[in-house]
Amino acid sequence: MLLHILNRAPDTPACRQALSALGPADRLLLIEDGVIGALPAQRAAFPGVEGRLYALHEDLEARGLLGRHADGIQVVDVEGFVALTEACERTVSWY
Amino acid sequence: MHDETHHGDLLVILRHAPHGSSWLREGLDAALVAAAFERRVTLLFLGEGALALLEGQGVGPMGQKGTAPTLAMLEMYDIDRLLVEERALRDYGLDASMLLLPARPVGATEMAEELAAHSLVLNF
Amino acid sequence: MASTEIYRYLSVAETQIPLDPEGYLVNRHDWSETVAEALAAEEGIALTEAHWEVIRVLRDFYARFEQAPAMRPLVKAVGQALGPEKGRSIHLMRLFPGSPAKVGARLAGLPKPTNCL
Repeated sequence: MLLHILNRAPDTPACRQALSALGPADRLLLIEDGVIGALPAQRAAFPGVEGRLYALHEDLEARGLLGRHADGIQVVDVEGFVALTEACERTVSWY
Repeated sequence: MHDETHHGDLLVILRHAPHGSSWLREGLDAALVAAAFERRVTLLFLGEGALALLEGQGVGPMGQKGTAPTLAMLEMYDIDRLLVEERALRDYGLDASMLLLPARPVGATEMAEELAAHSLVLNF
Repeated sequence: MASTEIYRYLSVAETQIPLDPEGYLVNRHDWSETVAEALAAEEGIALTEAHWEVIRVLRDFYARFEQAPAMRPLVKAVGQALGPEKGRSIHLMRLFPGSPAKVGARLAGLPKPTNCL
């Protein structure tokens, strides 16, 4: 199981490529501009990732998106980020 | 053919077209260094990175070196496992006859398998 | 990488050939067999036909790929051009002691190979 880290908004090649390369058990963590994908209106951009989609607390908060994110997205802080990387074999960054 | 025994240690993902930035060159350099040190390397041309495989590339408008000679050199470093995203070939209207090297088209499922199968993945 | 910094000059038949800090030619087009002999003399190497055929392989490699080869592709290129007996590290080590890829590139008038230590 890999952890994919995406720091680009949903409407980018990086996002599309991350989703193409995502394995069936892999997890996807949204950071930086990636957290824009956490908005409920963007849920269609992440098909089939239910339960495996995470967003970084600090980056949501900085953008005023905390509390506005879609249900089912798991919000993690930096400690949670570290725990995620430890739970996964390796990480792959998409930028 | 999908052959498990040919899975290299290092997977280098190339996501940028030639000339527009240095990402493609840097990715290829990383692959060459790894191969020079006897690591097995697989290249995955993803998204606009697929354009790096297009035949007939030249130097830049100011005479900057292109990456096509480096692509031709991969074979001398025994880098011969080349994959290209099926969807990128479709998006850009490319087919095998237009490519300067034989790269095997892969779909999303197989890409995910490749990422999982390599012990090191570098994304450029 | 090719360096453009002139560090010193090599005297060859009354001509001053600029060299970079690592002893590679600053201008690739300054190369000639006489220059190769002078560069080899600095390394304590007297060039024989066995050296020249490898130098030709190196120059051909650069003409095709625009880069000097690291050791692994050099061994392969020599093997392809000169046969498996010569396409071996030990043969190249005897001809160009130390680092055959680097010493060979220097004598062949190529930039320093980028993908090797």
